[in-house]
Amino acid sequence: MAKSEMQNQVRRLRFEHGEITQQQLADRVGVTRQTIIAIESGKYAPSLPLAFRIARSFGVSIEQVFQYDEQET
Amino acid sequence: MNRVQKIAWSLVVTISVAFLLSCIAIAILYVKVGMPKALAGLGFMGIAGLGGFSALIFQTEKGKVTLDERDRLINRRAALAGFGTSYLLVGLACMIPFFILGPKASISVIWLPYIFGGVGLNMFFVHSVAILIQYGRGGKDGEK
Repeated sequence: MAKSEMQNQVRRLRFEHGEITQQQLADRVGVTRQTIIAIESGKYAPSLPLAFRIARSFGVSIEQVFQYDEQET
Repeated sequence: MNRVQKIAWSLVVTISVAFLLSCIAIAILYVKVGMPKALAGLGFMGIAGLGGFSALIFQTEKGKVTLDERDRLINRRAALAGFGTSYLLVGLACMIPFFILGPKASISVIWLPYIFGGVGLNMFFVHSVAILIQYGRGGKDGEK
């Protein structure tokens, strides 16, 4: 059975792009700070439009922010 | 804690208080005056209506994102849980009398408004509890 895992580099990218706060990133992409927290901790997988907005806010491709690993268990 | 969580908490508290007071009032009146009049204790359920003011008390902050796609998803799941349990309750309210009293028995239509009101309150209660569970009980949702 395949087990899906979404990983992201949002926290690392925040620190690499001038140490912007979660609130600043939330304001840039139009969501609440709670949602950024949930995304960073892997509790919430964002929609494609939001994932693109986050990637564009860092000026990188979506694959550099979000990684999808399909693992066989 | 965001606005949706605050509204959910106020609904949970008001509905719980109203339900508890109603149960106590019905129990006391049942001992004092008997069953049909004891149902007057359900008047305390009116307290639950105060929860409706929470949407006015906790207003949205202008110029700030207060609701996004994750909040909408949480609300949709909570609504599904509320309607799902309400459907279950209506089913039980229909089938339990059928199995206990039998297919040829009849019940008074006075029970219909009670079932309607009870199912409606259950929907709001389960909806609110489901919202609180999804956000996390503490309301901080992993904030650091």
